[in-house]
Amino acid sequence: MESASNHPSQAHLSTAKRAKSLASVPAASSAFYDVAVAWFHRLTIEQRVLTGFNLVFVGILIVSAISYHNTSILLTNRELDGRSHDVILLLTTIDAAMSEAEDAHRRYLVTGEESYLELYKKVVRQKPSFTAYLSELTHESPEQQQRVGVLDRMMERQLNSESKAIARFQEDGLRAAKEMAFEGAGKRELSVIRRIIAEMDLHERQAVGRRIAESAAETENTSVLLVIGALMQLVLLAWVYYLIRHDITERRRVTSELQRRGELLEAANKELEAFSYSVSHDLRAPLRHIDGYAALLRKSVEPSLNDKAARYLQTISDSAKQMGQLIDDLLVFSRMGRQEMLHTTVDLDQVIRHILADLRLDLQGREISWTIAVLPEVQGDPAMLRQVFMNLITNAVKFTSTRPIAAIEIGVEHHTSTEIVLFVRDNGVGFDMQYASKLFGVFQRLHRGNEFEGTGIGLANIRRIVHRHGGQTWAEGVPDKGATFYVLLPARRRDS
Amino acid sequence: MIAGKPILLAEDNPRDAELALAAMEADHISEKVVLCHDGAEVLDYLYCRGQFKARPKGNPAAVFLDLKMPKVNGLEVLRTIKADINLRPIPVVMLTSSREERDLADSYALGVNAYVVKPVEFHKFLSAVKEMGTFWGIINEPPPERWRFIQ
Repeated sequence: MESASNHPSQAHLSTAKRAKSLASVPAASSAFYDVAVAWFHRLTIEQRVLTGFNLVFVGILIVSAISYHNTSILLTNRELDGRSHDVILLLTTIDAAMSEAEDAHRRYLVTGEESYLELYKKVVRQKPSFTAYLSELTHESPEQQQRVGVLDRMMERQLNSESKAIARFQEDGLRAAKEMAFEGAGKRELSVIRRIIAEMDLHERQAVGRRIAESAAETENTSVLLVIGALMQLVLLAWVYYLIRHDITERRRVTSELQRRGELLEAANKELEAFSYSVSHDLRAPLRHIDGYAALLRKSVEPSLNDKAARYLQTISDSAKQMGQLIDDLLVFSRMGRQEMLHTTVDLDQVIRHILADLRLDLQGREISWTIAVLPEVQGDPAMLRQVFMNLITNAVKFTSTRPIAAIEIGVEHHTSTEIVLFVRDNGVGFDMQYASKLFGVFQRLHRGNEFEGTGIGLANIRRIVHRHGGQTWAEGVPDKGATFYVLLPARRRDS
Repeated sequence: MIAGKPILLAEDNPRDAELALAAMEADHISEKVVLCHDGAEVLDYLYCRGQFKARPKGNPAAVFLDLKMPKVNGLEVLRTIKADINLRPIPVVMLTSSREERDLADSYALGVNAYVVKPVEFHKFLSAVKEMGTFWGIINEPPPERWRFIQ
């Protein structure tokens, strides 16, 4: 995994260097870039991929938000356009209605025809609704509202002067009305009305034109944004793809590397097996010969053998036997490391009972007070765990042999959901804690050979077995007071 | 009991051979021992060929085989003996330094009649080989000779 994360980070470091070398990059942004690269460097592959996908997600959100904003502007513009068209149409209608009113009042003055008067009155009736509607349509533009106000007043005045002319005509006849017409009553107002209508019309048309331009720009922006967004997301996705692919390739490489090493290890193991086989066969033969010929020699010179010579011959035999024992122990030790492990539930109570039964004969003539707690069930290899407790108990028995009453205690130090710590305690000769680290070494002994027999392989075997179970061993001792050996076993099964 | 039937001892190491013979001196069993120095010699003896062309016909009372021998090793000799219908009845005993599980399993799978690990201590070696010689050379009733001519 370590090498898997190396390559991309190197690639990024080199881009960082390139970015640094660019003179145009300002110092601040270069520093930011370095911080970003350093941050990225610390991420795991999962976090990098997640970062990539988050960036894509954020990109999609941004593009969507901007697109939504632009589209709603287009929709608003379209609504405003519709209102502008209504305004223009209404202005045309008002213009036509005012012309019609002027025309109708003139015709009435000339002909006295009542139908013309009716036509005029209709326009007068319509006038408030015209201005109200216009005011409503243009309520968003103060400029237009002002014009609507002026327009309303002008229309009022125009219609008023026309009404006055009609009233004079009805009271004083055509002559008086003619006089008024000559004075040019209503002429000025009508031209102002026309001008205002033209202004308002122009204003709306300009607004429509402006909005069309704006909408076109927005549409263009939106499409450019969509293209850029899509490209950026493609780039980001390609980068994420690269990260994942790179990681998969690395993982494959590591897997095959592990497999290769496993094969090498297996080959080495086979070689070791062949070696120990040859040790067991070839090293034992010369020892047998030494012992055998010493015995034959003793037999053939027996009558003339003095005590000294007999002792020499005995020493030759004893040494050969001792070496034979060492070889056997070494073989057991090496086998302990290679042997297939079983994984079952082991009832330690039963294991201890069987061990004590097996030791019955050896314990004859010894006074030992046993304190054995109720022991839990553990996970592991029954034969190997039996070996562990056999060694611990025989050690305790052996090193208490100088005590008139030996006290040996087997118990549980603590028991949690993850681990079990067992101990075997004795009141034997103990040991100096400064040598504690040597206790579990192969052929390490803290006592002289003539004090206690043994080759010094027992605790080494214990350590190897316990390690294979995923546990630990340690010991505490006080010289001439006793020793306690601890065995920690994981509560759950672990492969070795 | 068929007196005079030889015991075949296959042992490449002359010292081991001498010690084994010394062990079997007691009941004069050693006098009946024919010593072979490798597996090929054992097969020559059994098939009456090579240096054993002129030997009196008949199978030995037993074959004591070392596992590790030059030319043809103990397991190969055992396989040949147990595969031959005429030789199969001969009791074969492995006499070896190896306590390896694999050797034990292979030997028994091939039909060995007994498996003895040579002890390092001479007095144990002595008693083991002596008992072997006494048992297979004197106590044990070998298969009837007609097996040899059954074909």
